[in-house]
Amino acid sequence: MKIGVMVLEGPYQHQAADSAYHFIQAALARGHEIAGVFLFTDAVNVANRFIKPPGERNVSAMFDELGQQGIDIVACTACAKFRGMKRDLTVENIRLSGLGSLAEMIQNSDRFVTFGD
Amino acid sequence: MKKAAVLMRKAPYGSVYTAEGFRAVMGIGIFEMDVVLTFVDDGVYALVKNQDPEKLDMQALGEGFPMLPEFGVNGFYVHQPSLEARGLSPEDLVMDVQLVDDAGLAELLAEYKTVLPF
Repeated sequence: MKIGVMVLEGPYQHQAADSAYHFIQAALARGHEIAGVFLFTDAVNVANRFIKPPGERNVSAMFDELGQQGIDIVACTACAKFRGMKRDLTVENIRLSGLGSLAEMIQNSDRFVTFGD
Repeated sequence: MKKAAVLMRKAPYGSVYTAEGFRAVMGIGIFEMDVVLTFVDDGVYALVKNQDPEKLDMQALGEGFPMLPEFGVNGFYVHQPSLEARGLSPEDLVMDVQLVDDAGLAELLAEYKTVLPF
């Protein structure tokens, strides 16, 4: 099954990004396909390549690695502008794009799952 | 055609969710998709008339909803128990909506399958 994922919360303050990551891992392990991950509102901060949490899991590195596996991970351009997030601040495998990408992911998914507050 | 329901759950000010839900619905409604808006819990406040958030340095959200049909939004559903629990009636809202009870809401969300909760 093709599954689309949206995340609405930033890393560390909320569980949402971690839960999305574990959900994606579990879905892939079961043979499902991830149609894309849309990082909306504060979740764009997941893309920050300067995240270096002392002694804890690195959420941006986790998503970067998913992107490296070929999953399309998109951080909302407008949300990024509101939060000072620019292309040269993002990890390599997360791209910035607009709500058209969200629409595309919804259209290409059999199921669409949101992780938020 | 893909069917998507955007679910408004939170008060229109105090957090960004309602404003972003509004933006999301404008963003996806223009694509070939059947999009509806549903309002539950404090989300029903988003439709209340005469919102004046100027002192919060925010723009009023309510009056924007009636123009959403131009962006491909096909329906507006309000959870009646949420409305009544807040002492509101359909006359307090910026537009005509369809009222749904618990069962009606469950049926709607099951029908739309893709639900985007804000």
